[in-house]
Amino acid sequence: MKYVEFLSEAKPLLNLFGGKGSNLIDLIRLGINVPPGFIVSTNSYNKFLGDSHLRDQINQILSIEYTQKDVLNISEKIKNLFQKSRIPQEIIYEIKDALYEIWERNPDKISFSVRSSANVEDSKEFSFAGQAESYLNNQTLEEILKSIKNCWISLFSPQALLYILQMQKKKKNEKKILIDLKMAVIVQQMVDSQISGVLFTVNVLNNSLNQMLINSTWGLGQTVTDSSIIPDLIILNKDPFEIMKIIIGKKEKKSVPNPKGSSTILVDNKPELQNKCSLNESELYDLYNLGVKLEEYFNYPQDIEWAIKDNILYTLQSRPITSLKLNK
Amino acid sequence: MNKIGEGLSCSSKSEVDGELVYIKTIEDVINLFDSASGKICIVDDAGITTLSPILSELVGTICTTGSAGSHLAIVSREFGIPCIMGIKLSIEDIASLNGKRVKITHDGKDNGILYLIK
Repeated sequence: MKYVEFLSEAKPLLNLFGGKGSNLIDLIRLGINVPPGFIVSTNSYNKFLGDSHLRDQINQILSIEYTQKDVLNISEKIKNLFQKSRIPQEIIYEIKDALYEIWERNPDKISFSVRSSANVEDSKEFSFAGQAESYLNNQTLEEILKSIKNCWISLFSPQALLYILQMQKKKKNEKKILIDLKMAVIVQQMVDSQISGVLFTVNVLNNSLNQMLINSTWGLGQTVTDSSIIPDLIILNKDPFEIMKIIIGKKEKKSVPNPKGSSTILVDNKPELQNKCSLNESELYDLYNLGVKLEEYFNYPQDIEWAIKDNILYTLQSRPITSLKLNK
Repeated sequence: MNKIGEGLSCSSKSEVDGELVYIKTIEDVINLFDSASGKICIVDDAGITTLSPILSELVGTICTTGSAGSHLAIVSREFGIPCIMGIKLSIEDIASLNGKRVKITHDGKDNGILYLIK
């Protein structure tokens, strides 16, 4: 297919599938349990921009000098242009085909996560783009198409425009970079997880290479990354495996799929779960093994997002820990 | 100097002081855009990724929730500035701290401590 590729059949190509997408393809090839799905490649984004003449219009908007006071307006203007433009039929056909293939294999009701994957490696120069937009719990083709468009639009968010201004202040000429970025979009079966979180294969609090750090909570993992709760904090010793420290968080709320669809909601957590550690020893051991394997494979400490549903561990993302200063 | 809070020290262990700015919305970030230099920002819920554009100007970040794996902690580490997550404040009204001079120190273990400079 020209615009859409199944994760299990694709090759990791940064320009076509973005950083996060290529990384997931790598994980699947390594035999890691990654939720199945497909990638809407940067070819789709390019065709959409070209067919709708959006590229020229955005270039024109961004060519006029702007200040921080203008970014909300400019971002809104570009967002409206995206929303008025139609996704080309050829792309919709391929997305539909891919979805039907997944639906055929899954008689039960399933929902999808839609995540952005820009064609930049995770690095601090691009942390606005590396900062993933995720749209969870999409159930229909219409919802998925809308979320794909929202991922594309996120390249021109107020934060991204402010970021470019900040770079200009520092006399780096980065003005046209937003329109040069390409966005792939990952559509995956969503893991409606009971437990989720992040795993760093070094202890990022003190940079100890012989320790791992885990943040974990009940429900979907976005409450950990967006700081809407205080997750549990667990420090493991790496060699040999040992649980060194468990600090129970304040898990008053948890994120769950909205029963009405197309979003997630925060609900109160059961009182008996708020002060209970969200991971048991055997789950910690599984995470430890995942961390050891991925760190060895990528030959660098990893920042891993994971989820557990019905005792099965899923890997949602693995990327290098960007802040480490290692003498390699 | 009065101790007003303690939480998880998630990034650089350097001692810093500066004016505290309470950030709630992207509009607050826009208003701070030209004067962010040397400030310490405190946020108290989700949506704080908006701090990223001014992070290179700040000397510290603080959040009343979250932990080492939160996005704010990750980007603060990338910029090498001290970051206290899940801070427990002894002062309930965060807005009353807006504009006050504060200092961040570390206890040598995993905790970051926030002081109000009198």
